[in-house]
Amino acid sequence: MKLSKEKLLSFYRTMQTIRLFENRISDLYARGTVPGLAHLYIGEEAVAAGVCGALRPDDFITSTHRGHGHVIAKGADLKPMMAELFGRRTGYCKGKGGSMHIADMNMGILGANGIAGGGLPIAVGAGWSAKWRGTDQVAACFFGDGASNNGTFHESLNLASLHKLPVIFVCENNKYGISVCQLKHQPIIDIATRATSYDMPGSVLDGNDVLEVYEAVVKAVRRARTGEGPTLLEFKTYRWRGHHEGDPNQGERYRTKEEITQWMEKCPIQRLAAKLVTKKIASRQALDAIDREITTAIDAAVEFATQSEFPALEEMYEDVYASEDMAK
Amino acid sequence: MATEVVIPMLGVTIETGIIVEWLKKEGDQVKKGESLFVVEADKVVAEVESPASGLLAKILLPVGQKVPVLTVVAVITDPGESVPARYLSGAPAAAAAERMPSPVAAVPMTAPTALPAPGPVRAVPAARTLAREKGMDLSGIKGSGPAGVILHKDVAEAAAAPSVVVSHLARQASEKAGLPLGAIPGSGVRGRVMQADVARAAAEAAAPRLGKIIPMDRMRRIIARRMAESAFTAPHIHFFSDVGMDALLAFRGQILPEFETRLGLRPSVNDFLIKAAALAIRDYPLLNAIVKGEEIHILPEINVCLAVALPDGLITPAVSNADQCGLAEIVRLRADLVRRARAGALTVAELERGTFTISSLAQYDISHFTAILNPPQSAILSVGKTRDTIYLENGQVRSARMATLGLSVDHRIIDGTLAAEFLQTLKAYLEKPAFTFLHV
Amino acid sequence: MREITYSQALNEALRICMTEDERVVLLGEDIGCYGGIFQVTKDLQTEFGPDRVVDTPISEAGFVGASVGAALTGMRPVTEIMFIDFTTVCMDMIINQMAKMHYMFGGKGKVPMVLRVNIGAGRGTAAQHSQSFHSIFMHVPGLCVAAPSTPYDAKGLLIEAVKNDNPVIFVEHKRLYNTRGMVPEESYRIPFGRAEVKRTGKDVTVFATHALVLSALEAAEEAARDGIDVEVIDPRTLAPLDKDTLIASVKKTGRLLVADEDNKTCGVAAEVSAIVAEDAIEYLKAPILRNCSPDTPVPFSPPLEKSFMFGKDRLLESVRRLMAYA
Repeated sequence: MKLSKEKLLSFYRTMQTIRLFENRISDLYARGTVPGLAHLYIGEEAVAAGVCGALRPDDFITSTHRGHGHVIAKGADLKPMMAELFGRRTGYCKGKGGSMHIADMNMGILGANGIAGGGLPIAVGAGWSAKWRGTDQVAACFFGDGASNNGTFHESLNLASLHKLPVIFVCENNKYGISVCQLKHQPIIDIATRATSYDMPGSVLDGNDVLEVYEAVVKAVRRARTGEGPTLLEFKTYRWRGHHEGDPNQGERYRTKEEITQWMEKCPIQRLAAKLVTKKIASRQALDAIDREITTAIDAAVEFATQSEFPALEEMYEDVYASEDMAK
Repeated sequence: MATEVVIPMLGVTIETGIIVEWLKKEGDQVKKGESLFVVEADKVVAEVESPASGLLAKILLPVGQKVPVLTVVAVITDPGESVPARYLSGAPAAAAAERMPSPVAAVPMTAPTALPAPGPVRAVPAARTLAREKGMDLSGIKGSGPAGVILHKDVAEAAAAPSVVVSHLARQASEKAGLPLGAIPGSGVRGRVMQADVARAAAEAAAPRLGKIIPMDRMRRIIARRMAESAFTAPHIHFFSDVGMDALLAFRGQILPEFETRLGLRPSVNDFLIKAAALAIRDYPLLNAIVKGEEIHILPEINVCLAVALPDGLITPAVSNADQCGLAEIVRLRADLVRRARAGALTVAELERGTFTISSLAQYDISHFTAILNPPQSAILSVGKTRDTIYLENGQVRSARMATLGLSVDHRIIDGTLAAEFLQTLKAYLEKPAFTFLHV
Repeated sequence: MREITYSQALNEALRICMTEDERVVLLGEDIGCYGGIFQVTKDLQTEFGPDRVVDTPISEAGFVGASVGAALTGMRPVTEIMFIDFTTVCMDMIINQMAKMHYMFGGKGKVPMVLRVNIGAGRGTAAQHSQSFHSIFMHVPGLCVAAPSTPYDAKGLLIEAVKNDNPVIFVEHKRLYNTRGMVPEESYRIPFGRAEVKRTGKDVTVFATHALVLSALEAAEEAARDGIDVEVIDPRTLAPLDKDTLIASVKKTGRLLVADEDNKTCGVAAEVSAIVAEDAIEYLKAPILRNCSPDTPVPFSPPLEKSFMFGKDRLLESVRRLMAYA
């Protein structure tokens, strides 16, 4: 697939934005600035960048607990995102959702989700909605290898396929459900084989190659928009950090250092950068300049979040219902 | 072993009693002889002592309920002993009720289990709210709901009645006197009606006014019954004799300073009368007798009653064994009895043990009067005012202080001559005080 | 106005909503040509087509979750769960997703959907098809819970539920589906959070839900013969709950009986009792009484199930107990 320089650089920018954002969260989390749980996406950036790079702004995604990457790739603004992670009222969810519930209806972000497997039926509904409303929107649904064992995975694939709904099931197989490796949680290596049961295409792909991701999703989106139904894409990838920041030994209890190092050598950002430099699409200096811009933007987001106020205590009682007269 | 506590026999004429206050509560340790409760019967309010030491395990009779004497009202258990099952259910007074001679008397008894258990006042919230709004004391309101719980209606009715804040004792006193509380001005904090207010109101109510109908209170009803019974049972005859009082008064004058400084006592003329009468009775025991059917019972003790006027009637506590008491002892006993009579703190025994009565109106300008016998006694001495009088002695006009003593006796057993001799003897004792009271 | 059944009233409400608003779609098991097992969606598939009246697989988490996603993206699904008992297999979708999204997302994203369920024993369907655990949903912040007792209320509340922007658990009652009542032909909405005083009285407040509203009215008529004046309050929605009407009535009567078919522990009746205890205890002339189902699963054997259930007689007995505090 022949891609424009802009498109290629946009993959770099998206992935590096995710990487630097997550690095900053790791640092801030350690300093106690970010409360709660932070599930970082470092190492898996190519999946979010490739998938969302193939979507239109009016397409939908449902995300997971490890959602910062998906949301950034889909176009979220770093300032309200950072503010939300800080628990401030200027955050995406007015400080009431936090890391695991970032949503932006204007960007088609139907929410990160704290329940493993929780997002799949919702994506099916979003796809169904597009069909009912007669648009050609599609819904991409991120989930992990762990969630592929949940009933909702099967129910969602079944429903989407049955009604030929415009849904792309994006499985990020990072080999672990928290500490339990894939070999211990399912008897298969390739989750994509489950597509067969629901009569839809299923592919196993390199999740650390943004171009491979992108190409696969473009095909799936085309299929979805033309009413042919859903696709299951499985991207093999790896998270460098622990399940969440503060995970003891950053996960070394259940996996080896060697394994982590091997996967770090397959860094999706370095792989793309090397390709861009080698093919003279961009110079190192140009990429460094992008990195500096991103760092500036993240600094600004941190500044914005830091300057923002916490919600007023009475705001706790707001937004329980869509109309205030329903509030008890 | 569990010990039953009963309402004791309160004298031959008393058949029922009401506990007006429990001095101990369920679960208290009590000692034998310690006061357990206050009982009211006819004219007396008496403290009843515990018959045993142990745990006051179960109170079977709450305050305010009239039951026959000998009704079991509580159970005292030994350490570790549980309350026998027969006391835990059913009507506690059942055993006593069986002893009641009249089947009618058993009817008005309600099952005490239906009454509120001792403890915090039970009232529905709305009743509490209303009571709070009206500044009413729930403890004074009787509950008509299930298990005696005070209902909203109960408070509303109490509130609709003239709003009065009232002390517990005053409420009892007013019920006893049959006086509506609302009509009694209160002298306590925030117009709270106190016991004294009720007493004052009762006295005022008793004051006759033209065209007024006064319901008899309990005491008056008892007095009326007893006086009528006496007047129409015992044929009375009356005797009078003038007694020279100079010697007695001079004698009293002589000993008074010593009595006051050494003994802290102040003998009254009545004290001399009590002692002299007792001594005269020794000489004429028939004056110390009662009629029982066709028998004359000459009583073993000479217990001389002194009539004490109270706002709502007359009571007659007795100095027991007055013939054997020294004068100082009589003064002491008499003073104590009168004080306690006025405080309503006499015991049943003190009221019931009398065998002869002295009634004095000496503080009034009454020369002499006849008295009605204090049943079941057979003789009563009436004492008129001590007055200055002139008389002839060997043709010389002299003055003397004289008092007219009257003696009324039950003519069924006491003949005129005996009565006359008794009165003569008494007169002699009083006119020769040094000899009479020598045995001080 | 004409007399129709409760299920016809619901059917009519759905037809009106689907006609007025193309965003309204129906999902559920056997709701198409079968018409729903209680015939609430009868003929609607024929009328609106299989795309808008969708027979779903037996896949409650899937189609309830899909309803949430559709609602979040501009649709107004009305989804039927065949029995309230089956909501347990999609509880994550109801409690973690449907109820919370509006709040979690800081007010961005509405979930205007209706989840129709039904309660009630008495059909010999034992412990997994007869439950009445609607109280669970009343417990969840973010959900509205409707509880119609008459055909009139059924229609008005369902139209409101569909047009309302909040997620609604619409709790129907099996024994009411065939009850009849006067219902206008036109569209009308009964606002949520407004109880209806179904009968005024001054002695006892009977706060009853669903079929027990009818039992309470019967009990009230019988009590009236003894001079007891019973007020019957039908909350119509359990969330939001019309506390004002409840409290006003209790202030007037001072006596409260709560009748609800959920089992007693932690149920609607417990909540209503607690509200009165907190806000109006000073007006109570008698203890609060609750008539609820026993704290057991619904038994199968007919005599056991009969004993499990209750109605007018139990309510009347409780009313009389309250009047012992007259």
